[in-house]
Parts: sequence; structure tokens; C-alpha cells
Amino acid sequence: MLKRTIYFSSPGFLSVKDMQLVFDPKNGSDVKNVPVEDIGFMILENQQITVSSPLIEELMNHNVAVVFCDSRHHPQSMLLNMEGHHQQTEIYRQQITASEPLKKNLWKQTVAAKIANQAKLLEKIGADPNPLPHLASRVKSGDVDNREGMAARVYWQRIFGQSFLRDRYGKWPNALLNYGYIVLRAAVARALTGSGLFPSFGIFHHNRYNAFCLADDIMEPYRPFVDMAVWNVCEKYPDVTEMHKEIKAEMLQVLSVDVGMKKQTRPLMVAITHTTASLAACFTRDKKNIEYPILI
Amino acid sequence: MWLFVFFDLPTNTKKERKAAARFRKDLMRDGFSMMQYSVYNRHCASKESADVHEKRIKNFIPEKGQVSILRITDKQYGNIVNYWGVKEDPLPEGPKQLEIF
Repeated sequence: MLKRTIYFSSPGFLSVKDMQLVFDPKNGSDVKNVPVEDIGFMILENQQITVSSPLIEELMNHNVAVVFCDSRHHPQSMLLNMEGHHQQTEIYRQQITASEPLKKNLWKQTVAAKIANQAKLLEKIGADPNPLPHLASRVKSGDVDNREGMAARVYWQRIFGQSFLRDRYGKWPNALLNYGYIVLRAAVARALTGSGLFPSFGIFHHNRYNAFCLADDIMEPYRPFVDMAVWNVCEKYPDVTEMHKEIKAEMLQVLSVDVGMKKQTRPLMVAITHTTASLAACFTRDKKNIEYPILI
Repeated sequence: MWLFVFFDLPTNTKKERKAAARFRKDLMRDGFSMMQYSVYNRHCASKESADVHEKRIKNFIPEKGQVSILRITDKQYGNIVNYWGVKEDPLPEGPKQLEIF
């Protein structure tokens, strides 16, 4: 079911009453109520927001992804439920003892889906998608010859121009991409814990300093949706080179954009839960393929 | 999709008053808000979600009294005309997928 995304950018006090989230802006304006069970994703951006402990408990009971921003308004940390699924320990075990060939096969599917979506995006914005569809169809087990990198090299320059370099600290719109990816990463991490998976043990990413390796793996095919949103923002606000509220709101809409899943169209946030559920089934050997979205 | 709950509950004895208060509280815990005394409503994102809430209400209906549940579409909800005295009041807006506070 499509859950609501809530974004807090003004000072206030957050608490819980009758299982409803209560936002009291403390400036005389109206107190707002939101049923906690309807929330899927929540960003707290203002440094003057206070959150009560019972609210945190309630949010975790409903597996809400709660993201906190730092003083520069950039997403910094998130809450993670320690018990997200009734079969959690069993699925953890399957995930951690997964064989190398299985992981390589899953990574192959992931890269193929990512490149296919990148090609779709290029097509959509009127750029030449070749040779991406070709690359997508020939990904080897474990992506040993790094087709992912080959695709990326042409992909970025066709979207944002010849001089664009994708770099975390690089020029605009890199900051926008970072923002979108962190939002996406939080949404994926939430879905992973909801499916009983442990987000730290990845199928390909294995950086010892990264706590969300699996989220980074699984979000790969979803990245082009963020890229599409960034491209749209760049078209809409060609002169802007800094984040502001409207742009952030636009980026958060990514979570409800329509994606193609197995002949059906679903909102992205719902699609992620299907992806993670199918991934859990792959680890328990009930399924062979991860369900990934197609950019439409 | 919106769910409306209308009710008339007896409040003659202490026990009945308690049951009525309990019902009201249960509605609020389920995310309903008061539109008028004994008229409560809630937005549901889908038909399936409305089914869930309807089922929950059935489970906490008090022994005595009359309760009606009605579901209407967003379009129908938008057609409600509200009067406060003789002045027309705009309808409170329903929830959106993305909300900014």
C-alpha cells in the first residue's frame, strides 16, 4: 500500500496521542495529526524539532523510515528497527550463508536491471541509448568485466553534458544527486528490514565502513529514477545551483513516481517492498529472480 | 476514498457512557477525526485500506446503540458544502502523499 511521505522543515514538537503522530508547531498555528500507520517515510530537517520517545517507539512499530538531517539540512542518519520481520533470524542466516555463485547471480541481475533503466532514461530524454541495451543483455555473472562502469561512462555525459563528472563533492547537480540517493537509500533500507533482511551484508558492496551495503546493492536499479528527477529539476530550474525547499519537495516526489513491475504499474515505494521481498525469497531459494522495476 | 462513521449511542447509565467514550477513543486511535459530534471521518489511500478500517470498526462497536459506516470517493468528498452559521466554510483538505510541515 502506498504510504505517506512527511517532511518537517519548521520548528515544532512531535509526539504521539491515540496512536496518531501529533505535530505542534509551537508558534500558535494549528496542531496537525497524522495516523502513524499511514506513514512510510519521514524526514526531519529542522534542528529545532523535538521528538518524544513514545513516538519513536510507535514509528518503529510501523516500520517507518525516519531520516534526520544535519545542520546543513542534508540527510545524515536514520532509525532502523531491530526487529522488522517475524522470520528475521532465519532470513538473516540464509542471507549471511548465501553461496558465492548465488550472490554473483543476484548481482548480475541487479546490474542488468540498472543498465536497462539507464538506457530507458536516455531514451526518454531524447539521448542516444546505445550501446547500453547491448551492455545490459550481456552482463556476466558477478559483472566480472564491469559493464556497470562501461555504461556509466557514456550515461552521465549524455544526461548532464560532456563536462559532467559524477563525484560526491563535485559540481552541481552532484549535490542534488546525493540528496536523492540518500532518500532512496533510506527507503530501500526500510524495505529491507521490513522483509527481514539485514542491510549491512551486501551481495556486491562490501566496504567495511559502510553499514548499508545491501541497501546500496539493491538501490542500483532505482538510481535512474533519481537521475530522472534531477534531470527534471535541472530543466525546470536552469539557473539554480543550490537546494531550496521546492527542489527538495520535488526530489521527495521520487518515492511516489510510477514504475513498471511485471506488467503492472506501481508507486516506487511499493515497488521497493516487492523487490526486497523477492530478494528474501531468493536467499531462501524459493525464487530465482529479483523483481526489479522498469523505468516508464 | 473516505470512511464516515455516524453513531447514536445511549448514555443513560454509567456503563453505557463508558462504552460510548471507549468507542469514540477507539475511532480516534484508528486515525479518525471528529467532523461533528458523533460524525467521524478518515481518509484511506485505497479500497483495500478502507476495508481494513471498516473491519476494525466492526470489532469495537459497542453493544447498544446505532452505528453507520459510509464510504465515499474523493470526488464525492470534494462536493461537500460546509456552513458555519450562514457563512460557507471551505472543506478541510484531505491528506496528500507528500506533506510538508
